[in-house]
Amino acid sequence: MTRKQKRLSVIGGALGFLGLAVALTFYALGQKASYFYMPADLAGATLEPGQRIRLGGLVEKGTIVRDQGTEVSFSVTDMEQSVKVAYSGILPDLFREEQGVITEGSFGTDGVFHADSVLAKHDETYMPKEVADGLKAKGVWQEETQ
Amino acid sequence: MLFWVIAGLLTLGASLAVLMPLSGRRGAGSAAGAHDLEVYRDQLSELDRDASRGLIAAAEAEQARAEIARRILKADRDIKSDGALDRPEGKALRAVAVAAVLAVPVVSWGIYAATGSPDLPSQPLSARLDKNPADSSVDELIARAEAHLAANPDDGRGWDVLAPIYARMGRYPEAATAFQNAIRLDGATAAREAGLGEALAGAAGGVITDEAQAAFQRALQLEPGHAKASFFLASALAQEGRVGEARQAWQEMIASMPADSPWRNAVTQALQAADSRLAEAGGAPDEQAAGPTRDDMDAAADMSEEDRTAMIEGMVASLDAKLQQNPDDVEGWSRLIRSYMVLGKADAARDALQRGTEALGPGSAGATRLSDFAASVGIEARE
Amino acid sequence: MVEIGHFALVLAFALSLVQSTIPLVGARSANERMMAVGTPVTLAGFALVGLAFVILTICYVRSDFSVANVWENSHSLKPMLYKITGTWGNHEGSMLLWVLILTFFGSLVAVFGANLPASLRATVLAVQGWIGTAFLLFILSTSNPFARLSPAPIEGRDLNPILQDVGLAIHPPLLYLGYVGFSVCFSFAVAALIDGRIDAAWARWVRPWTLAAWAFLTGGIAMGSYWAYYELGWGGFWFWDPVENASFMPWLAGTALLHSAIVMEKRSALKIWTLLLAILTFSLSLLGTFLVRSGVLTSVHAFATDPSRGVFILCILIIFIGGSLALFAIRSSSLTPGGIFHPISREGALVLNNLFLTTATATVLVGTLYPLVVEALSGEKISVGAPFFDLTFGPLMVPLLLLVPFGPLLAWKRGDALAAAQRLMTAFAGSLLAVMATMLFVDKASVLAALGVGLSVWLILGALTDIALKAGFGSVPAATMLRRLTGLPKSIYGTALAHLGLGLTTLGIVGVMSLETENILAMKPGETTGISGYVLRFDGVVPVRGPNYTESQAKFSLATESGQPLGQIVSSKRFYPVRQMPTTEAGIRTIGASQLYISIGDDTADGGLVVRIWWKPLVTLIWIGTLVMMLGGAVSLFDRRLRIGAPAGSRRRRPAQPEAVAR
Repeated sequence: MTRKQKRLSVIGGALGFLGLAVALTFYALGQKASYFYMPADLAGATLEPGQRIRLGGLVEKGTIVRDQGTEVSFSVTDMEQSVKVAYSGILPDLFREEQGVITEGSFGTDGVFHADSVLAKHDETYMPKEVADGLKAKGVWQEETQ
Repeated sequence: MLFWVIAGLLTLGASLAVLMPLSGRRGAGSAAGAHDLEVYRDQLSELDRDASRGLIAAAEAEQARAEIARRILKADRDIKSDGALDRPEGKALRAVAVAAVLAVPVVSWGIYAATGSPDLPSQPLSARLDKNPADSSVDELIARAEAHLAANPDDGRGWDVLAPIYARMGRYPEAATAFQNAIRLDGATAAREAGLGEALAGAAGGVITDEAQAAFQRALQLEPGHAKASFFLASALAQEGRVGEARQAWQEMIASMPADSPWRNAVTQALQAADSRLAEAGGAPDEQAAGPTRDDMDAAADMSEEDRTAMIEGMVASLDAKLQQNPDDVEGWSRLIRSYMVLGKADAARDALQRGTEALGPGSAGATRLSDFAASVGIEARE
Repeated sequence: MVEIGHFALVLAFALSLVQSTIPLVGARSANERMMAVGTPVTLAGFALVGLAFVILTICYVRSDFSVANVWENSHSLKPMLYKITGTWGNHEGSMLLWVLILTFFGSLVAVFGANLPASLRATVLAVQGWIGTAFLLFILSTSNPFARLSPAPIEGRDLNPILQDVGLAIHPPLLYLGYVGFSVCFSFAVAALIDGRIDAAWARWVRPWTLAAWAFLTGGIAMGSYWAYYELGWGGFWFWDPVENASFMPWLAGTALLHSAIVMEKRSALKIWTLLLAILTFSLSLLGTFLVRSGVLTSVHAFATDPSRGVFILCILIIFIGGSLALFAIRSSSLTPGGIFHPISREGALVLNNLFLTTATATVLVGTLYPLVVEALSGEKISVGAPFFDLTFGPLMVPLLLLVPFGPLLAWKRGDALAAAQRLMTAFAGSLLAVMATMLFVDKASVLAALGVGLSVWLILGALTDIALKAGFGSVPAATMLRRLTGLPKSIYGTALAHLGLGLTTLGIVGVMSLETENILAMKPGETTGISGYVLRFDGVVPVRGPNYTESQAKFSLATESGQPLGQIVSSKRFYPVRQMPTTEAGIRTIGASQLYISIGDDTADGGLVVRIWWKPLVTLIWIGTLVMMLGGAVSLFDRRLRIGAPAGSRRRRPAQPEAVAR
């Protein structure tokens, strides 16, 4: 191989490698990015069973039910629709009624959203951004002025 | 003053940092290439060190030495061809230098003048708390008490002293906590339990909650006939719409209380209010508990005059605001008019009548009912 | 007193204006005196920002609530340590710390750069001055820590309780030392572009800054990860959260820079690429600052966000990144290209390293920014989390880690892959053994877990092999070997330590990800549960009063299965009344390199307590490994060895071109 050929093959190899990485990245974005929904958005969405999504909204008042063990269920609402969520584990410190929450998981065949992680806001001034935006778009929530 | 001196000194120092090198003697004049030479000589001496320690094989060291020597030669050539090292500075450069020296004080004092607050002294908390108590504001006195209690959280007497002060300032949640601490540490007394009830009611915006009622009841158990507890329990009945029972309770209080009791006046007024409410509603229980009633006002009887007025006016104002958002509420308008009459503000009541009539639609059934009601409390719609 | 701090900051801004211009004008017009302005002005700027920072800290210590920033983030009852750390636990204070560190690095260049060419030093200081000017302006106009309140409130609003932690005392300063440390590399790169001169000496100068920044950033990320691990109570050590990615991207790019700078230093090759990496690394640091400070991204631990400030930082970002890349586009062609090398050589290995690392950086960047782009374009909200990164970042890392042990064994210019592979046979056998041992002796170990352990052992043994070979282990007498060991350049130890640390961290990650066991259950006092060969008894809950919080401590007794007691573990929930905020304090017991992690949840209806227990095998190795990496960086930093490389395979050949230097 001449020097030029050598250089070309190196560059070609690098480009091929990059192309592979790009393809992988886009494949992963298509497969693994989870979409964010508010309960009212679900009506128009076509979800395959088991597809991972993030569901956000407010924890509906009076819907938190704890059983004897670690199972807990509650409803997430955007003031229009609400969705029942089942979760097993420890809820975040700031999980409260009528506070913003984001859950991640998928719908079961029973129509209940099975969450494997629950994020609540992290301090008293922080509303999960998606939830805040979603609620604002629906005119339900106004930003608190400081 | 001290501030200006220090600021001046800092500015001087900063300006000197710019001025000194600019006004210094012209450097010996070494170009970049000369510094490269230094670096290469440094590399050479490092190479020798390493070679003597046996870190590099002799052949390799020799090759590296030759390489560095080649670079030195090249750098040397560059320097020679560069010619003059420090070119004489032109007028423009001198102007830039002068501008730079001037920029430091001008920019800093300019920006600071626009954004700073040079007259505001620092106020460390300990210094503020160590001040002579006579000069301190109520806030500072409270902060001092809080600091004391933070250090000695088991000082029941301290909590006992602080609790009513909180209540008087309208800091009801803290008052409730303080009363609870006092009760936990020094035991329950009727006064503390009643104070707790009052604080809890205050924290709930004047509503005598179950929790508050329980506190008043404990106070009564400790001291049967405790005036504040009895009074508030009766008010609670009135708030629930059981005006008749409330009236009876107040009557019993009047009958049993000593003639010089500070509560006599409050109870008398509460009774009158209850009477008028009963008359108004035709004896039927009053379902509308919202809005200030005489009971609420009397509940505030042992506040200071200003606080009481402020509280009542606040409640009326919130009712007024609610009505502006939800103007179809005939009952609400009626309550607002009555509240203003009770406060003795006939003008405001008349204004409320007018606004209510407009909101409900002049001539509508609601408007007619409203003006009938207004007439019954002594207000005529203006033409 | 407070106002002196404010004034010092303003004065520092005025000086940074001078620092940005005069030395540069001097360098371009070959004016010695103007160039000489750079050093004193930089030092004075550092002193003034330092004064401002000290004064702000004193305000915190003395609870001066006439300073708005103190009032918002402190409380008189806060423990003294958190009063001090609270100084940088908020937006304004952390930006001041950022600039303080920037001026600190500038001063280091001014002091230690005495034998830099004067014009290069002046230009570098001027570029540092630009960054300082931009950020001081940002602080003064949008986030002034010295804004006052009059009348002063009597009590502050307290620091966000999850930030009241020792980890937070160390995390931001370390992280910023890393982020901002790369600013020096950036300044050197821009100065080289302005000067149009770049050679091995340039790389020699940039290398220590890269090493220092890299080591600090490593520590900062590790500390942040450990803080999230024990303070958030979720038991995770890395969440692929945008804020974490923001610090991880400069780390990846910085690691690439560290390696490409070696090539440039030893072989004068990859010059232009190294310049570009230096610019990109600091750009990613700026991007990180922007992402964290502007709140454009949702993050689980965004603690201070303000969109209006975001616009300002975005402008800084665009000016610096856009400007430097434009300069690069214009000037890079004027730089002389570097030496050539065979694909299989030390250089080739380092290029491969760069290819993997920059691609990995790009995937992290895409994953972090993609939700933003999608939302801007379609309004749809998506989140890109661990599954994405597992699929993209993982496959890139595995081959890179496999190749790491080869790198140091290949010769410069032209290497022999086969010979290197032969020398690594022992390491390979060792890791094969580890795979088999894992399969045989560890319960529930999957094939993947075993391979992961094997990969980690491969890295560790590979690093040790390098040292052993360079010392002549097995081929020379023990005395000679010992002499050679002590005589080995520190940078060789640094490399080995960093690669060893990487192996340890990998081992920790593999251990936790594949062998972790988790148990969520409701426990009543007196009940016991078993996990991974230990027995845990729930003793009950005790209320405790802290200085500025109340706490309910759940106490657990740990014992082995045979009943031997191992002491108590306390996990608690705290409540901070000032902010009306609860926090979880995980109960952690370290056993060997593994940890038992207990987090408590809510009370159940029948008087029990929800308890989540993890057995995290080898988890501490994650952070021990990063410490070893940091140590490697530090050791390398103190290497005083000759920094000119030599192609070992070309002793009898003339160097391919003048810049290449033979050893």
